Amino acid sequence: MDEIIENLKKAVIEYDGEAAASWARKAVEEGIDPIEALDALTVAIKQVGDGYGRGDLWLPDLVGASSAMISATPIIEEKIKATGGKRHKLGTIVIGTVYGDIHNIGKNMVSTLALAGGFEVIDLGVDVAAEKFVDAVRKHEPQILALSSLLTTSAYVQKEIIETLKKANLREKVKIAVGGGAITPEFAKIIGADEYRPTAIAAVDLFKEFVGVK
Amino acid sequence: MTMKGFSRNFKPLEILTEEQVEAIHRGMLNVLEKTGIRVEHKRALKLFEQNGCPVDYDEMRVRLPPSLVEECLRKAPSSFYIKAREPENGWQIGGNNLYLEPFPGMRTVDLDTWKDRPATQKERDEGLVVIDALDSVHGIGPYTPYFDVEGIPPAMAIPEGIAAAFRKSTKALIGQGHQLDSEIFTMEMAKAVGAEYAMNFNMAPPLTARSDIVEAMFRTVEGGFPVWLTGGVTMGATSPATIAGAEIVNNAQAVFSVVLAQLIRPGTGAVFSHSLSFAQDMRGGVPAYGGIEGVLHLVGANQIWRKYGIPKSAGVPGISSSKAMDFQCGYEKAIGALAAALSGSNVIMLHGGVYGELSWHPVQAILDDDIAGMIGRFIEGIEVDDDTLAIDLINAVGPIPGMYLDKAHTREWWKKEQFIPKAADRLSYPEWFGGGKKIALDYAKDRMEEILATHKPKPLTASQENEIERILEEARAYYKKKGMLE
Repeated sequence: MDEIIENLKKAVIEYDGEAAASWARKAVEEGIDPIEALDALTVAIKQVGDGYGRGDLWLPDLVGASSAMISATPIIEEKIKATGGKRHKLGTIVIGTVYGDIHNIGKNMVSTLALAGGFEVIDLGVDVAAEKFVDAVRKHEPQILALSSLLTTSAYVQKEIIETLKKANLREKVKIAVGGGAITPEFAKIIGADEYRPTAIAAVDLFKEFVGVK
Repeated sequence: MTMKGFSRNFKPLEILTEEQVEAIHRGMLNVLEKTGIRVEHKRALKLFEQNGCPVDYDEMRVRLPPSLVEECLRKAPSSFYIKAREPENGWQIGGNNLYLEPFPGMRTVDLDTWKDRPATQKERDEGLVVIDALDSVHGIGPYTPYFDVEGIPPAMAIPEGIAAAFRKSTKALIGQGHQLDSEIFTMEMAKAVGAEYAMNFNMAPPLTARSDIVEAMFRTVEGGFPVWLTGGVTMGATSPATIAGAEIVNNAQAVFSVVLAQLIRPGTGAVFSHSLSFAQDMRGGVPAYGGIEGVLHLVGANQIWRKYGIPKSAGVPGISSSKAMDFQCGYEKAIGALAAALSGSNVIMLHGGVYGELSWHPVQAILDDDIAGMIGRFIEGIEVDDDTLAIDLINAVGPIPGMYLDKAHTREWWKKEQFIPKAADRLSYPEWFGGGKKIALDYAKDRMEEILATHKPKPLTASQENEIERILEEARAYYKKKGMLE
């Protein structure tokens, strides 16, 4: 049993998605507590995230470990759902790059570090329309909505998303963080977001503040 | 009549062997045939299908046979003319010609704090006046100088920017950007002032052509305008981390763009715009602007595209990773620009860009004017004939106390041989300390003030101005109707 948990961790630390998925399936087959398996993945990604934070590891390591973890999590989450268990998490974040913008690197960095920080992350991808964000907020009931855009034209789509949330009476349910090359702290205020952060690491610190974790 | 740019009078720098060029070329053909390009545009997919390309409509994927690719590369002209507002400012692009133009930035920067902020409309116009005044700026590139301007809603950013450029400068508009159908209004404005422009066709790496950009390509090529095939990959993120692999992805995208333009209208003028290929900075997640790998990628690409016989533009020298107009900003831009010129770029986007595409300043454009002048002088090379060898003169002057300062030959030649930078410090130590210890940045600020006080760009005629204003109104109505403007 310990061997499976250790191999799950190892697969993430060694950026091996196939191994991660295969050990996740094994964990489910062997009847390992899926919460424990998911925690093991979180420990591993945290180790990589911390290495990145210290400057020992680099972006390809971070994104590689994240991809490996993403290959394994759905398998384990399905089991958690089936057994009615509840995973340990700091909170849920819905994240995406807004409509008209297909830049995904900054968004992926935030996504990965949030995952490593202990959050559940619902990543909607790039070029995401306002309605899709609103639907995701309604469905997943996140504490945090994180919006990214790198272009001046798409920056204004963030405003539209916030307006759409207001109309759907969902604005007060989430904290909204914005970021990306086209965004400034002043702009964040103008469009009615809660906060802006300039880097992925600062963004995750902000998410922790949002959910009351120091 | 054409704008006089610079001419390279010696063989271009080559860093790849024939075999290496061939290997990258074959790799590009392999990727276009095997994997192809995702084209999110039905009409384009149909056009490819009609020309013998396998098309998968569900995946929106077109695969290009090598024979078609090579045929289309041959159809694109190796040199062509782009009309400017003033006929003498038109560009004959290709061959050994080198033109320079500004590299844009989203916002302006404060010269004391280096903080970026949206430019005012006055600052935008002043930026254009400086651009118009600088001799080494031969034309105006996309989004120039700023694309975040106070009081201008995003939907109108390009139409207002193009109108301002035509109002404040008679120089050619080259490689103009587009968004939200703005090319409709750019074409109208260009026609209204008797000019042309080349449309920036930006692929989304890796290997994707978005629907809006393809639609813009159809509109502009069918409108008879040339295209600026802007590529750019981030090595390690949107292409392989290896420079050779990154050449393949970038070239596959740009060659696909050539094929599309030639299928829409054979003979369409096309420029390979190397634009922005940098390594991914593996710490912060942004491209490593000004990094030497981007310069290597550019120089390799220039060699390959010379083989294709298509004019080449370089964007890499336009920007730095530095936020200040400092030593780093200077060396990153100068190394890139010199390498571009030596390896045969026909266009270099250089003036004014500071950090990434995020900041621009006219003082930087003035500093870059000196880089441009030095590079322009360098590629002219060394003239060697009886007159320049000056053997008779050397024999006549002989050893000391002979000297050359008082000779007619010196008076005739020194100004032809020397480039005199306008913002560089060349004082002696005593003069420098006595004169307030001015550095290049101070001289550039002084020069900006002088230009703004004295340079008056030639205004549009009354009827041209009316037309421009009418087209802007048309654009406003268009975006209001689409709900993009209040």
